[in-house]
Amino acid sequence: MNRPCPHRIAPFVACLSLLATAGGCGRVDRADQVVIWEQMDPRERTLLERHIGEFQAAHPEYADIRISRANYNTEDLRTQFQTAAMAMGGPNLVYGPSDQVGPFVIMDLILPLDELLPPEVLARFDPSGLPTLEGHVWGLPDQVGNHLTLVANRAHVDAIPEDADAWVAQLRRLTVDRDGDGKPEIYGVVFDRIEPFFLVPWLGGFGGWVMDAQANPTLDSQGMIDALTFLKGLVEAGVMPRECDYQLADTLFKEGRAAYIVNGPWSWDGYRQAGVDIELGLLPRIPATGLWPSPMTAAKCYSVNRYTHPKSLPATLALLRWLTSPEVQTDLARELAVLPGDIEVRADPQLVADPLLAASRRQVDHGRIMPIVSEMRAIWDAMRPAYQACLSGELTPEAAAARMQERAVRLIAEMRE
Amino acid sequence: MNGGRRRVDLESRGGRMALWFLAPTAAVLLLVVAYPFFYNVGMSFTNWNMFHFRDPAFNGLTNYAKLVREPEFLRVFLRTFLWTGVNLVFHVTLGVGAALLLNRRLPGRPLYRALLILPWAMPQYISALTWRGMFNLEYGSVNLLLGKLGLGAVGWLSGEWTAFAAATITNIWLGFPFIMVVALGGLQSIPEELYEAARIDGAGAWRRFTAITLPMLRPVLTPAIVLGTIWTFNNLNVIWLVTKQGEPGDKSHILVTYVYKAAFTYYRYGYAAAFSVFIFLTLFGIVKIYQRAADREAF
Repeated sequence: MNRPCPHRIAPFVACLSLLATAGGCGRVDRADQVVIWEQMDPRERTLLERHIGEFQAAHPEYADIRISRANYNTEDLRTQFQTAAMAMGGPNLVYGPSDQVGPFVIMDLILPLDELLPPEVLARFDPSGLPTLEGHVWGLPDQVGNHLTLVANRAHVDAIPEDADAWVAQLRRLTVDRDGDGKPEIYGVVFDRIEPFFLVPWLGGFGGWVMDAQANPTLDSQGMIDALTFLKGLVEAGVMPRECDYQLADTLFKEGRAAYIVNGPWSWDGYRQAGVDIELGLLPRIPATGLWPSPMTAAKCYSVNRYTHPKSLPATLALLRWLTSPEVQTDLARELAVLPGDIEVRADPQLVADPLLAASRRQVDHGRIMPIVSEMRAIWDAMRPAYQACLSGELTPEAAAARMQERAVRLIAEMRE
Repeated sequence: MNGGRRRVDLESRGGRMALWFLAPTAAVLLLVVAYPFFYNVGMSFTNWNMFHFRDPAFNGLTNYAKLVREPEFLRVFLRTFLWTGVNLVFHVTLGVGAALLLNRRLPGRPLYRALLILPWAMPQYISALTWRGMFNLEYGSVNLLLGKLGLGAVGWLSGEWTAFAAATITNIWLGFPFIMVVALGGLQSIPEELYEAARIDGAGAWRRFTAITLPMLRPVLTPAIVLGTIWTFNNLNVIWLVTKQGEPGDKSHILVTYVYKAAFTYYRYGYAAAFSVFIFLTLFGIVKIYQRAADREAF
């Protein structure tokens, strides 16, 4: 019996190895699937799964289309989508806050929805919730707001003052340091003091804003100096922790160790689940200016990848319409207490009567839409270090505002070069 | 004569066969290492950013010139060396120290070994985030411990150097088990007779360590240290997660976190690519210096 010579079979082994490697990559035909990349919370994801299941049951014509989703955190979602779309891949639908739309539009990664959907579909939505740039609509929201508001723990708070001075006085009363160790058992208020997103409402309250209509930063303003002075005062008064990121603020509030938290709609359901009896209130008006703090508002929306396979585009659009339909938005509003983007759904008597949603809507009315231009990224990054340095006492409010402006101008110039 | 010819023939056949077997690996390496590498080098000579995403143009050495003119560049560069150096010193000292202890006959040795390997076995992401929580000013266990010892609380994450120290402590904890495992393997291969002979010759513990243990460990430690240098130099996770993307105020960045931010926060792809080439050349230089030093000592 002849034994095969090893050197003769070697090329076959090599080819088989390569084939096996390639086979291991598991090719999936993009024409037969709809993929969603999202940054939802666990509760939102559960609802999304349910809504996808309902879509499949209601649309037997797409029975051969496989629908899947992948979860990322907000930053990863953006970078992963950019990278995938650069290589002409990625999901069919990408879901997240509307400010990510700006870079996607500039990089030509998503499709204009006004060219894909009938006008009557877009007409259902509140125009302020539709991410519009260069005259086109780039995303369809299933909720709007994404805004910060004041959340009170009713176990500690009887009534929420509408005036900032009264509120600060109340915070001093509510802060309890029983053993006098300088570390209160109960804080008046907690919020993430790392991210400048939490500074913005106060900036608006003191008459400032982050940029002008031409996307030029306007950070070195009296409004910014006053807002920083106000927040620094809260830290120095000891009514909020000296070092507090989002997780710590969230934990303290859930454990009943803070009377108030400043947080957004994504968190309210979690507080209810944790057994905290919450009440929403407006961020209190600033007596010196007579203005209400103005949190940034934004929609959370689905956008369609430019590189969606043409064969799967009809199913993608059908799913998009389903996930932003009045029924789904009503369900989300009821389950998660988020504001619908659909005008008619918003007028639903049951939703109007919901005290949480009513308070949320009042705050949105005082909010300002988050600019969806790409320069916002530089603005955030310019604000963050100076904001932190100011609250920790390293910079005066004046120096912090000047540094924010200088850095924002430089970063935007670098981005544009 | 015929025998020699046959041997040469067989050798060349064997060589060809080896080449065939190597081919798949070489092809995959070309695809996943060489191609991205040269693509990145090409990118570094372009103005590729968000606004030139579809139409990047050649801009020569502009990105490299920008890189050296960057005001933060020198600080980040020196901080990276400090980061790598401090981590390596502790990784090697603690790793070899723990290996020496575990190489002795101790009661419960398997338990200690498992416990000491634990930091390495845990996902880096989880460890880094846990350590970040432990460094909180008021509620972190590190400051609670300092409080029990009568020391004041440290604002670990709010100062430039304290944040850097927090990340370094985390990475030391994460990294020393690797050196420990390597050193333990090396120690177990040293013949006991050498120590017996040294003892008979009157060598003390320190002398035995410097004359036998260290030289015998060198062949296994050198590649481990080279790998450790590269991993530490390029360790994005720990700095990124413990200091929350280079906080406070982008002051705790090392080169890789700085380049990551340039690419994925500011979309400065061409600039970030030039930075990556610089990092590669720096690491290449370090490895070459290591190799030469190791070769000199070997002869």
